[in-house]
Amino acid sequence: MKDEVLIDIKDVKKHFPLSKKWFAEKKYVKAVDGVSFSIKKGETFGLVGESGCGKSTTGRLINGLIKADSGEIKFKGKNLANISEKDWKKYRKPMQMVFQDPYASLSPRLKVKDILSEPLKIHYPKMPNDEKKKLVTELMDKCGISEFHLEKYPHEFSGGQRQRIGIARSLILRPELIIADEPVSALDVSIQSQILNLMKDLQEEFGLTYLFISHDLSVVEHISDRVGVMYLGNLVEIARKRQIFEDPKHPYTQALLSSIPQPDPKKKRETIVLTGEIPSAANPPSGCKFHTRCPAAMEICRKIVPELKQLGREQYTACHLY
Amino acid sequence: MNHILQVNNLQTAFKTDKGMQTVVHGISFHVDKGEIVGIVGESGCGKSVTSLSIMRLLHDTPGKITGGQVIYNDHDLLRLPESSMKGYRGKELAMIFQEPMTSLNPVLKIGKQLREPIQLHLKMSKADAAEHAVKVLESVGIPRAKDIMEEYPHQLSGGMRQRVMIAMAISCKPSLLIADEPTTALDVTIQAQILSLMKEIQKENDMGILMITHDLGVVAEVCNRVIVMYAGRVVEETTVELLFENPKHPYTKGLIASVPKIGSGSKRLHSIPGTVPSPTNMPTGCKFAPRCKDVMDFCHTEEPGLIEEDGHSCRCWLYQDQRQGAMTE
Ligand SMILES: Nc1ncnc2c1ncn2[C@@H]1O[C@H](COP(=O)(O)OP(=O)(O)O)[C@@H](O)[C@H]1O
Ligand SMILES: Nc1ncnc2c1ncn2[C@@H]1O[C@H](COP(=O)(O)OP(=O)(O)O)[C@@H](O)[C@H]1O
Ligand code: SF4
Ligand code: SF4
Ligand SMILES: [Mg+2]
Ligand SMILES: [Mg+2]
Repeated sequence: MKDEVLIDIKDVKKHFPLSKKWFAEKKYVKAVDGVSFSIKKGETFGLVGESGCGKSTTGRLINGLIKADSGEIKFKGKNLANISEKDWKKYRKPMQMVFQDPYASLSPRLKVKDILSEPLKIHYPKMPNDEKKKLVTELMDKCGISEFHLEKYPHEFSGGQRQRIGIARSLILRPELIIADEPVSALDVSIQSQILNLMKDLQEEFGLTYLFISHDLSVVEHISDRVGVMYLGNLVEIARKRQIFEDPKHPYTQALLSSIPQPDPKKKRETIVLTGEIPSAANPPSGCKFHTRCPAAMEICRKIVPELKQLGREQYTACHLY
Repeated sequence: MNHILQVNNLQTAFKTDKGMQTVVHGISFHVDKGEIVGIVGESGCGKSVTSLSIMRLLHDTPGKITGGQVIYNDHDLLRLPESSMKGYRGKELAMIFQEPMTSLNPVLKIGKQLREPIQLHLKMSKADAAEHAVKVLESVGIPRAKDIMEEYPHQLSGGMRQRVMIAMAISCKPSLLIADEPTTALDVTIQAQILSLMKEIQKENDMGILMITHDLGVVAEVCNRVIVMYAGRVVEETTVELLFENPKHPYTKGLIASVPKIGSGSKRLHSIPGTVPSPTNMPTGCKFAPRCKDVMDFCHTEEPGLIEEDGHSCRCWLYQDQRQGAMTE
């Protein structure tokens, strides 16, 4: 069962219309511009890249919160692209999301116990109350929130505790896939590490599969088995975590990696300081979208889009250097 | 002595429903010429309030400085009338923020915003000030500096706005720059640009920089000396090398161990249990005691002093005789 593919997406595109003015030339933000990857059951796939590169949109496409313009999104072999809204409900249950700001996604007027039992009420209307209560209490306990807190409201908790509640809520229906969109980005490091450890424990206990989205490569390295690096709507490199961090191939991955300040003053790294700004996704550069900032750019890079190419056993890179 | 800035026993409190709450608790430190001093700690530990207190920029908040001194050039800034303080702010001491729009006016052209302080502080004519402004913009790596003088802040990207704010802060060659989380809102590749820019201008102008950040990576990358704050107090202070090589305070140790490090694989991260106490709910004794794995009985009742040994200060009973500590307090 180890190699069962849970999520398989192929050439998925999502372009958002930029201007609503009817007379203006139609312009689009190419948020996700032909992305393909798969996630195996039980693994953590980390999606990393700078703000606006399309990570959240990718997560929302997989979760069905928005529909793809084109491409294929398969969950356990079933193409989700054209299924009806009614069927979506069935597919969404095994797929849950955890967000950066749990506060925004927890109803302020509900007590924690109600926030957690609400999904049970909807999906298992016949479940007796004491069974619901038992499930909620057990799960909260596993997430580090004691029973005595169940009568409290979200605002009475700290950011880290709220994230524990957000995670517990995502697990109440026993999903298979958790799409976690920047789940620790708003937290202080001491709390961030508590949540990362919790997510690992829960993964082991419930056999979860994670799509872990973050702009922070160090966090992604810590939690992931495989990593996909995005730039302006495209995956530029996919590889096993070790390959990404020990032998990154794509010049953008290399720059991203070298830009992270490391908490070790003796490690005088060679930072590859990229010149220039991240271009707009509405008007991306031609050819390789990274060519305007790439220290290795060549003539061909401005003209021809590089395809993802397999370089190692599980390493794929989209770059004309290879 | 070439301390540019000497903060002595600074204390700042906020007016709340429950009365005055002290959030900065008698902190002392200095910044020397040509030195980058980091203040690090998690959110709510009092870093921003400390920097705003030094600049005397608390008037928009319910905060009030309730004690201590901020000595700059032999003058206690806290005793100056506001009119003289204006002469220091922007000229001798400048500040940059996480959010550039804190210092930029959205309805004024960038040129005008840059030029006016230069005219005022450097007593230049309008034309000379404009020329100087263009030079400063170029020095912080802004392409098309002349054009940008005619633009408004919203026309620029986040990274460019950050550069404009830095340009504005250094335009009158301050001797001290206070930077409060200057790269926290930026993407890492842009952060790398801004950090390398800050190091460059620091060297060129031999400024002192007080670098406030929650990011230990940024500290290791740019600072010479580091002050670790917890619950409004300095809990450790030493050189950046010693801090990472031989951290003493259990909080500092916990923080360093909590950071996921590139290349260290997936082994379980260290974490500090619990959360930062709020000012209204401060423990007695050592403020870190409820989260400390080395806690001893009397830590809960008595607060340790900040004791220096060989250029390394630490506020923890593990490094001091209980009575000796209590006496120095
Ligand atoms: N609903 C939307 N309408 C229009 N543009 C959008 C929408 N959602 C995202 N975008 C744009 O798509 C791009 C990718 O966004 P996002 O997926 O949120 O990136 P990330 O999560 O990597 O920061 C950005 O340029 C963003 O502004
Ligand atoms: N405008 C304000 N009004 C009331 N309390 C404040 C205000 N600003 C800061 N505080 C309080 O002062 C303490 C220190 O805050 P701050 O200096 O902003 O922390 P840091 O910058 O280290 O995250 C916090 O407990 C915070 O709640
Ligand atoms: S294709 Fe060219 S521009 Fe793009 S990353 Fe490779 S070398 Fe750089
Ligand atoms: S004084 Fe006690 S509780 Fe405080 S940090 Fe030291 S050992 Fe821990
Ligand atoms: Mg996002
Ligand atoms: Mg702050």
